[in-house]
Amino acid sequence: MNGETPSDRILEEYFSAEFRVLNAHLPRNRKSLAELLKEEHPAVQLSDGTSHHFKRKELDYLAGILTSDEQEALLLPIIIKIAPGQNEIGVFSGKQNIEAKVLSQVLGMSVTGEKGAITMYKSQLSDVRAKLKTTTQYMFAAGDI
Amino acid sequence: MARILKVRPTKIELVRLKRRLSLAQRVQKIVKDRLSILTLEFLQIARECVKAKERLLSDFSDNYSALSVAVGYHGPIALEKEIVAAEGDVKILTGSRNIAGVRTPHLEMAEAGKSTAIGYSLADTSSWLDKSAEYSQKCLDTIVELAELQRSLELLGMEIARAKRITNALEYVLIPGLLSTIKYLNMKFEEREREEKSRLKRVKVLLERR
Repeated sequence: MNGETPSDRILEEYFSAEFRVLNAHLPRNRKSLAELLKEEHPAVQLSDGTSHHFKRKELDYLAGILTSDEQEALLLPIIIKIAPGQNEIGVFSGKQNIEAKVLSQVLGMSVTGEKGAITMYKSQLSDVRAKLKTTTQYMFAAGDI
Repeated sequence: MARILKVRPTKIELVRLKRRLSLAQRVQKIVKDRLSILTLEFLQIARECVKAKERLLSDFSDNYSALSVAVGYHGPIALEKEIVAAEGDVKILTGSRNIAGVRTPHLEMAEAGKSTAIGYSLADTSSWLDKSAEYSQKCLDTIVELAELQRSLELLGMEIARAKRITNALEYVLIPGLLSTIKYLNMKFEEREREEKSRLKRVKVLLERR
């Protein structure tokens, strides 16, 4: 006997499930901007089986600031990593660091990335999300950025 | 005071409780972060909603003025005849998007659905009708945008309430309960240790007396 009441067990299971579903909205496969621009209804499939649609306006905005090679290399949605209790957030970036170029344009200041990740402050998040609502996605991490 | 869980006072149980506490604290941190992100998104959408409503009201007002002049110029019957000819289908692309785990609707006016061809005769109508048609199109775009924003706002609000309930349950029920149970078990073990020590001392005294 372990002495747990049914309500304790329910709470425990509930929180474990909450932990599991926190990142269920992440895309199964990301698509390049060039690929999405060709689609009639640009969308990606998420891990929970639903789809995430992109706004054409945002895709056109990104296409306007990137060259055609960069459009091929930029994978969408851009993943924003949130680490618990930290004031900084991370953005995953590819080898060519196109995400840094996009964020520099959006924020109006130079943004640099190291080791495949760009570090930003939480206060800058609202500016990024205001312009890139559908082309960015949150990821909740258990550890550090 | 937090409720002490009914557990066996054993070391294994203590280890298990400590593990549960660390899981609960980790979940609490992440849920709190998610709550702050959801609140940020909620406020942003609320601001956009207000702007869209203001835009819609001003477009409606402009449209009403232009239409009133057009009605006065052409007369209601002639104008209705022209407007009926200009009727067309509206195409809206629907889908969903995800904001930090909340599925919200995605509505967008299809470019094909926007009336590019004017249905009425340009020769028989005034520029006021053109203006009115232009404002109507703007109103339609804003209505679709507003529908998306308002539904997103509702869904985010519900999710924020749910996340708040979870953080409150963790902060005020589960974690304090686990902490006080761990404290209770530690005290129990210390007490046992003290009992054991005094028993040994007593035995020692008895052995020395013999």
